Amino acid sequence: MNLYEYTASELHEKLVNKEVSATEIAKDTMDRINATEEKVGSFVTITEELAMENAKLVDEKIANGEEISKLAGIPIAVKDNICTNGIKTTCSSKMLMNFVPQYSATVYERVLKSGMTVVGKVNMDEFAMGSSCENSAVKVTRNPRNIDYVPGGSSGGSASSVAAGQATLSLGSDTGGSIRQPAAFTGVIGLKPTYGSVSRYGLVAFASSLDQIGPMGRSVTDVANLYTAICGADKLDATTSKREYPDFATLLNSDVKGLRIGLPKEFFGEGVDAQIKESVMTAIKELEKKGAVLVNVSLPSTDYALSAYYILSSAEASSNLARFDGVKYGFRAENYDGLNDMYEKTRSEGFGDEVKRRIMLGSFVLSSGFYDAHYNKAKLLQQKISAEYAEAFKVCDVLATPTTPTTAFKIGDKVSDPMKMYAGDICTVTINIAGLPALSIPCGNVNGLPVGLQLIGAKFSEQTLLNTAFAYEKIMGTVSAVANL
Amino acid sequence: MKVDIEKIAKLSKLSISDSEKEKFEKQIENMIDMIENLPDISGKPFVDENNRMELRKDEVIESMERQKLLSNAPEVLAGCVAVPKTMES
Repeated sequence: MNLYEYTASELHEKLVNKEVSATEIAKDTMDRINATEEKVGSFVTITEELAMENAKLVDEKIANGEEISKLAGIPIAVKDNICTNGIKTTCSSKMLMNFVPQYSATVYERVLKSGMTVVGKVNMDEFAMGSSCENSAVKVTRNPRNIDYVPGGSSGGSASSVAAGQATLSLGSDTGGSIRQPAAFTGVIGLKPTYGSVSRYGLVAFASSLDQIGPMGRSVTDVANLYTAICGADKLDATTSKREYPDFATLLNSDVKGLRIGLPKEFFGEGVDAQIKESVMTAIKELEKKGAVLVNVSLPSTDYALSAYYILSSAEASSNLARFDGVKYGFRAENYDGLNDMYEKTRSEGFGDEVKRRIMLGSFVLSSGFYDAHYNKAKLLQQKISAEYAEAFKVCDVLATPTTPTTAFKIGDKVSDPMKMYAGDICTVTINIAGLPALSIPCGNVNGLPVGLQLIGAKFSEQTLLNTAFAYEKIMGTVSAVANL
Repeated sequence: MKVDIEKIAKLSKLSISDSEKEKFEKQIENMIDMIENLPDISGKPFVDENNRMELRKDEVIESMERQKLLSNAPEVLAGCVAVPKTMES
């Protein structure tokens, strides 16, 4: 087996037992990247020099007999909307194509502190707006499970790099499903943490009340370890919770006897492919065989969630992206006549179509005469949705649903029809609206394309989610494997 | 719903070319049709006054080096970010 095929836990064992060095792991991963990148296209920037430096430091620590963290020497890819000091951070947009941040996101500082081997910055839908990684101004990333298909989005590169063995772990971000959907499409595990558990300092903002950074990997233990490394209060992000978090991986428990798994009927309706429902139900029934109890629940406002999501996220996006004006950083148009023209030309040339659509929709819903009909209603709906989840969690410990209504689609299939693209978000957006944690774990294939099982929890119930996923992983007897490329 | 795409573009500080106008208009109208699927609810969203974010103290701390920040600027003159004239003389 190649080093890039092992999980972080396995690599850690090998490092501690001196069977392998961090430098060897880094080299093997770089070789894998070079061998597969043309086919997959995960990366915006490959940071080979940095990776080797990171690895060298870990090897020195080991040689000195020092203790290393569970993630030391483990290759990680970072979504390109997370600021990395001195390394280009583009958000896959023309607007930031040459932007080099002069500071790092808190999560990135924590990744470096853990001694991880940073292999590069990965591709995404521009400014995190999209569900296919086709809205990137850099390149279209391909699904390692079948390269004619999309890896999903917006954390397409984060998912594909892990699925392709180009990184053992990755960081993505999720505003409406952008970690979970690509995880489902590429057959890896992705966790969108509870809103407020991971600092957003240094994450280029899309919708500040919905965005969360989260880990992606091929084993539950790995994902748990990366989550532990990045979560926690941050003075630089006033929306982070002050609570303390355990070392989640050490508390993983696969005993699901008596675990109440709620099945919200609205997620198993007509909008979801029959084969997906079958795969997901088969997985859920496996958990039932081990003692979990299935409970029927209802989240009546699910039908309206897509509307609420696009209203709230676009409104926040229109505000957040107003900062891209060509003045202090980023792209500035070359030819303009006066200040206002500079703003308009910069933004029109710098932003792609999807970003423009969302900004315009946001301006519209916030404009005078429409605010009450849309934005205010969406805020009320948000509270209704949250209340419905709270009711459901009175009778169950975790909810199980499909992550997506379909498997990955072919590149080019939906990109020219925004509405078709948005419809794919129906299973994921409610979770962001309610600020809840949710995880996607692979649970089978349909026509060679992976299916994701989504587990949703009450706020700060990540341990329950991870435990349930861990139980399923144990039942399956295997972690997610690297794709054959 | 019919939209005034020019007005929305202006609010967003975007300029849409004539050739793109129709495409964006149709797409935005479809998006608006989708988001109009909302239940009949009204009122004011509840705000929990007891659960406020804690803001930092209003005290001066070291921020960032000027040179580092200027390194991101499109055009720098005499240690300042150069921009088009902002006022009519």
